[in-house]
Amino acid sequence: MAETFHDFVVQRSAALSRRAYLLTGDHQLAEDLLQNALARTYRHWRRITDPEAYVRRAMYHQQVTWWRRRRLVERLESEPTEQPGDDHSDTTALRLTLAAALRQLTARQRAVVVLRFYEDLTEAQVAEVLGCSVGTVKRHGYDAIRRLRAIAPDLVDRTTERSAR
Amino acid sequence: MTSRLRDSLRTAASDVPAYPVYEKALATARRSRRRTALAAMAALVLTALAGALLPATGSSVPAAGTDAALPDRVGVPPRGSLHATDRPRIGPSSVIFTGRADGMEWANEHSIIAIVGADSDRYRIIKGEADTRAGANTVLSPDGRQIAFSELDSTGPRVRIVDLATGDSRTVDSGIPNTVQVVPVAWSPDGRTLVLRDTLPPNDDALSIVTLDGERIRLAEAGEPGSPVAFSPDGARLAFQSGRNVSVVDLAGRRLSSFTLPPETELAGKGAWSADGRTLTMTRHEGMRWSLRRVDPTTGRDLGALDVPAVSGVTAIRLLGWSADGSARVVAYQPAATAEVRFDIFLEMEQRLAYANVSTVQVLALGRGAGTPTTLLTAPQGVIAIDVADNVIRGGQVRHANPPTAFGPRFWLWTGLITVLLVGIVLYRTREKLALWLDDQRVSRRQAAD
Repeated sequence: MAETFHDFVVQRSAALSRRAYLLTGDHQLAEDLLQNALARTYRHWRRITDPEAYVRRAMYHQQVTWWRRRRLVERLESEPTEQPGDDHSDTTALRLTLAAALRQLTARQRAVVVLRFYEDLTEAQVAEVLGCSVGTVKRHGYDAIRRLRAIAPDLVDRTTERSAR
Repeated sequence: MTSRLRDSLRTAASDVPAYPVYEKALATARRSRRRTALAAMAALVLTALAGALLPATGSSVPAAGTDAALPDRVGVPPRGSLHATDRPRIGPSSVIFTGRADGMEWANEHSIIAIVGADSDRYRIIKGEADTRAGANTVLSPDGRQIAFSELDSTGPRVRIVDLATGDSRTVDSGIPNTVQVVPVAWSPDGRTLVLRDTLPPNDDALSIVTLDGERIRLAEAGEPGSPVAFSPDGARLAFQSGRNVSVVDLAGRRLSSFTLPPETELAGKGAWSADGRTLTMTRHEGMRWSLRRVDPTTGRDLGALDVPAVSGVTAIRLLGWSADGSARVVAYQPAATAEVRFDIFLEMEQRLAYANVSTVQVLALGRGAGTPTTLLTAPQGVIAIDVADNVIRGGQVRHANPPTAFGPRFWLWTGLITVLLVGIVLYRTREKLALWLDDQRVSRRQAAD
């Protein structure tokens, strides 16, 4: 564990930023999310034994809360603004495709996808982080994959897609 | 089977920069701490205010005022006045009054008993039964600290005694079965004994001497409804009127004497005994002119008129007592313009003091050798009954009063609480819009800073 809050942020901000971006699909929102989660962590720093887990949990819960507040507005928006273009690099194109696809998921579904397939947590660990049952994690995960297949088939294995059908 | 999704996520995350959020996170945390501290402070202040104002019981006893004085006027208690048992305690009272003025009644024509502080214009109220009349069936103890009034609920009638200094209350009753109503009519000088009057079916009354320790003695005579009961200054005897007879009994209920009153003559009031206990005072009226006379308490022999001015143009007077300078203090009942009875002919005392027949009351001083009465206290129209603590009568002090107006503390407390509740509901219902607005503000600030 880092000795000070400053050391912790210096050492872990890159990893935390990536996680925040995947959760929000937007750099600005990701920065806000990380900033708030770190602020909350700082306020309870002396009592926290595992800051990494605390920030992660704070980010996921904050994201779900924000999503609830913003979903009405999001529903009123038109199609995702970021679209892959011919002049982008492959990585950028993939990031934009992924961001657009993730935006079509609910906050819980997005959280489950990131926790399961980016952080490689088990379903039980995901349930613990999100504070829900394993069954809920399974349902959100299933719904998320099915939705991603429909939105962006290239992001998931074609063989799996075919066999699933 | 989701390896492609895993790869996609890692590839997409690989070129995400580390956001420079350290300083901003610290600023956010400090701002949040400040807000939490402010909210806690506000909650503390609100709690302290509520604790000070909300009804509660406690053991703090305000010191008995040494400057107890009669206010020169009383006013209808403001709406939202504190109750007698609310904090801060009012302590001993100088005056209580009742009536039918706007603000002096509550649900279904029940009476509000108004209480005025001993040495200031602090007001408290008690929500009493219908037809509550201060000085007649609601009485203030001699030291002004306790009020006794009748109470009626599903378990039956009783008399409640509220201690204005502590907020404590207790009940007493006469123990007479099948009573319809029991009211307190007099306090003993030491404040430890009450005289109660029971109304018994079909048409009977009974007087009882009840000590606060629980002893009860039923008197043989019924006592005249509407007529006062007067304790002698030493508290050993009491006089009361029954029909045209006046009886004097001791605290064991033994009759010491009894005599018949001449026409147009009544036992004068709770202050009927002279200071030395040797004579009783009667009122005599000719038409609407009322004067005071002394009689021998043993034989009823008329000892002549007192050297004090008569009071004219009133439905009746009641003698409260004697001040240190020897002058009499009386309540004068002013006739109501709408009264449908005549007061210059025979009329029962109960009728003379009835709600419908009195417009207002005054407390007058009848000085020895004075030509006319001096008005000490005035009350608004519709205040038709009043009682004054014996120590205030004896002390003789009168102070300039400025009764409270507008709204009382309970009104503001409830208005404040309801406002906070409504604001809370509005904030809760608009929380999503509010959060979005705050987010937008934050983004705007950051963009402006960048």
